[in-house]
Amino acid sequence: MEHTEPHSTEPEMANRQGAAQRPNGAQGKICQFKLVLLGESAVGKSSLVLRFVKGQFHEYQESTIGAAFLTQTVCLDDTTVKFEIWDTAGQERYHSLAPMYYRGAQAAIVVYDITNQDTFGRAKTWVKELQRQASPTIVIALAGNKQDLANKRMVEYEEAQTYAEENGLLFMETSAKTALNVNDIFLAIAKKLPKYDQNQGQSGQGQGRRLAEGDQGAKTPGNCCK
Amino acid sequence: MSESSEGEDVRELFVQDGVLLFSATASFINFVKSVGTLMITEYVDNRRFVEWKPIDVTVDSDIQDQEWAVVNTVERRVRTLSGNVLPEHKNRSKYLRINFEEIKSFRISDKSRRLTFNDGKTEQICTYLFQHGNCEHLVGFLKTLVKTVPSRRDKHLFIILNMNDPERERIDKSFAELNVCNDSNYVWNIWNFQERPVVTTLEAFAKITDLVYRVPQHREMDDDVKEILNKSITEYQHTSTTLSNGEYEVIDCVSDLPNRRDFPRGRALCSEQWNGVQDQEGRIEDSECLKLIIFQGGIVPSLRQEVWKYLLDYYPWNSTHSDRQKLILQKSDEYFSMKLQWKTMTKTQEDNFTDYKERKTQIEKDVTRTDRTIDFYAGDNNPNLQVLNDILMTYVMYNFDLGYVQGMSDLLSPILHLMQSEVDAFWCFVGFMNQLSANFDADQVGMKEQLSNLHTLLAFIDPELATYLDNHDSGNMFFCFRWLLVWFKRELSEEDCMSFWEVMWTGFPCENFHLLVCCAILDQEKQSIIGNNYGFTEILKHINELSGQLNIEKILNDAQGIFYQIKESDRLTDVIRVLLGLPVLYNSSLDNHETSPFVISIETSNESSNHPPECSVDDVRISPEEIQFEKSISSNFI
Ligand SMILES: Nc1nc2c(ncn2[C@@H]2O[C@H](COP(=O)(O)OP(=O)(O)OP(=O)(O)O)[C@@H](O)[C@H]2O)c(=O)[nH]1
Ligand SMILES: [Mg+2]
Repeated sequence: MEHTEPHSTEPEMANRQGAAQRPNGAQGKICQFKLVLLGESAVGKSSLVLRFVKGQFHEYQESTIGAAFLTQTVCLDDTTVKFEIWDTAGQERYHSLAPMYYRGAQAAIVVYDITNQDTFGRAKTWVKELQRQASPTIVIALAGNKQDLANKRMVEYEEAQTYAEENGLLFMETSAKTALNVNDIFLAIAKKLPKYDQNQGQSGQGQGRRLAEGDQGAKTPGNCCK
Repeated sequence: MSESSEGEDVRELFVQDGVLLFSATASFINFVKSVGTLMITEYVDNRRFVEWKPIDVTVDSDIQDQEWAVVNTVERRVRTLSGNVLPEHKNRSKYLRINFEEIKSFRISDKSRRLTFNDGKTEQICTYLFQHGNCEHLVGFLKTLVKTVPSRRDKHLFIILNMNDPERERIDKSFAELNVCNDSNYVWNIWNFQERPVVTTLEAFAKITDLVYRVPQHREMDDDVKEILNKSITEYQHTSTTLSNGEYEVIDCVSDLPNRRDFPRGRALCSEQWNGVQDQEGRIEDSECLKLIIFQGGIVPSLRQEVWKYLLDYYPWNSTHSDRQKLILQKSDEYFSMKLQWKTMTKTQEDNFTDYKERKTQIEKDVTRTDRTIDFYAGDNNPNLQVLNDILMTYVMYNFDLGYVQGMSDLLSPILHLMQSEVDAFWCFVGFMNQLSANFDADQVGMKEQLSNLHTLLAFIDPELATYLDNHDSGNMFFCFRWLLVWFKRELSEEDCMSFWEVMWTGFPCENFHLLVCCAILDQEKQSIIGNNYGFTEILKHINELSGQLNIEKILNDAQGIFYQIKESDRLTDVIRVLLGLPVLYNSSLDNHETSPFVISIETSNESSNHPPECSVDDVRISPEEIQFEKSISSNFI
């Protein structure tokens, strides 16, 4: 079952090939970021990625085994941001594999299901683990997914928001089904990430996976997108 | 892509006008949809580029959608120059230059009017449209400079075997060790020379690379290549002895295994054969012979439901009709009493039994998203989903320690579909899980072991590929995780999956045959992986995307071929014998397996091929904490 996107907050998506074609031809920067999705099984990690990358939703999205890797490119002001997205398997049994995927990630989306309190508890554990183990500069976003099922809500918006504020996380309630806030959460992350222009680097496009790291100069306000 | 610096001496080797820049990365966005001149150039330092320079005619952005527009101001011009050093290169800085080294592949489309260069990652570098005629002149010329092979998956895509590729360099370096056997059909044993022959022409390299990279079954060689090679040979010596003078690293990409033979699939086991092997009372006398038939050709679909019960240890092979009738009753009772155990669990009991509740929730989550595209499980409130759920729940009671782990519903689904009976499906599933339970260990030990065994086998069969993976963060073989966890369930259609599993269940021709199946697929994908210079992410993506693309007959054929190549190899080690369940000879100790004789490295102190490097991403800056952390991960994982 597929739902078309009913919704207005579309970022300027670059075309599939990732070549950012800008009408008025301003020279843009290109940044590439590694982003990992974590969270309890069946909270909708794969569904969020599928919505963001392909604009689709599958009611019966199959569970993830191992991990999946996808990319999406978005244009943000004068910058082309390419996300390298790692979608992981949620079940606790596969927890020991997660570090392989979040190592070196510049951003993470920790997902829970607003209709299931346990998944929120699990999300908090993920946040703690990331804060302890992942790159210290990692940008973490918390996504309360399945917002379309708000009538079955078990996690209050305020509760999650307070938690997010206390921990310095971006926070949004999302719905992979209706597309609510899906692009927005990725864009919000893109805005928060330090930008470093790959075209000016020696390495050329697509070389370094962790360009932003260790490059303190990149974090000066002049280099950041608003 | 880079902007050129000025004042370099440059030769234009090839020039074509009227080429429209159709797409490019952001820094050349100003020139997209502009027409210009495309050139192949060579600089004094021998670096070569594909360059494009715009002329001052820009296509109106209104007609961008028409892909390209004819601009009449440009004359058609195609010429090939040689030795023409241009005086003016003042403006080269504006050019869109792509170093040959950057181009990993190119794709020709739109009746040869469109040419796209790719960097071998997931991106394209740029696309050109040829307004006058097509790109064939250019591509033809390009092919004289670089060696290309068409992609197996996409006939319009050409993968460049780059001169500067490490593989290429090794081929260059190891050229000295190559020799041609007299048997023109099969070659490439490793030889060593004492003197390095001088090889001058690019073309010779190209041909050698071509041969080395070609899949084993089509190894044939033109006479002129033989000639080139023979000229270069001064003296040789077989490698499996040793390398005498430490000048060159032995090219380890050329396997010295025996020729791969073909094992076409046989006929599927049919009713006549099946009935023929049973005695009056229904015993199956020669189960090994039956398994061999199944191994070679599978089972006709109408017979599967019955034969699977034997293959999955539900029915004993030597049971009689009446034995089985008794067995069915007894197993049915046993099943329902276990089912009753969880069915009668109260809410309070559940709440006080966290482990149980976790398993139950996970089953519910997975059942609703298992194979819902197959009719048997499709639609809301499909009763078969309830059966799937009940079997998995009962399995939790049957084997609480293992419980339920994601992936198990995938294993059960085809079995239930085939059996159409809850009890039969349960007991067959039990048999399957007995074989695969290690895949679901809490600490992933079983999976790690298999992945590591897979690496060991691959390093034996195809050291080049194994080394490549090691050097690209993929020596842990993690990209094969899904293949192994659910035995290719996610990669194959239901029908193919059934055919595949039943072949695996026969236990022929050796233990761990599924790992050889992995090797067969990797062998098939080697060209794409190495040719595109894929790293950890690209490899995983590429492997995941094979889902739905695998030809199971070919893979089984190849895997069987590989098995005999290993078995008949004269450098077979005990480790490999043990892995494949072959008898270990001469009581030799298992300890000195690590360095197989064929991976010989001189000067370089290579790590043993069994130990993938922890991290080798060059262009990445890593903080000390991270290195520490990565170490802890790899020691946990590997
Ligand atoms: N109503 C609703 N259902 C959703 C939403 N997002 C996901 N789902 C459903 O939730 C189920 C699980 O979604 P997945 O995307 O597979 O979850 P996951 O987090 O990737 O799960 P694992 O791969 O097991 O870790 C699927 O049946 C989805 O259709 C949502 O926003 N709203
Ligand atoms: Mg998933």
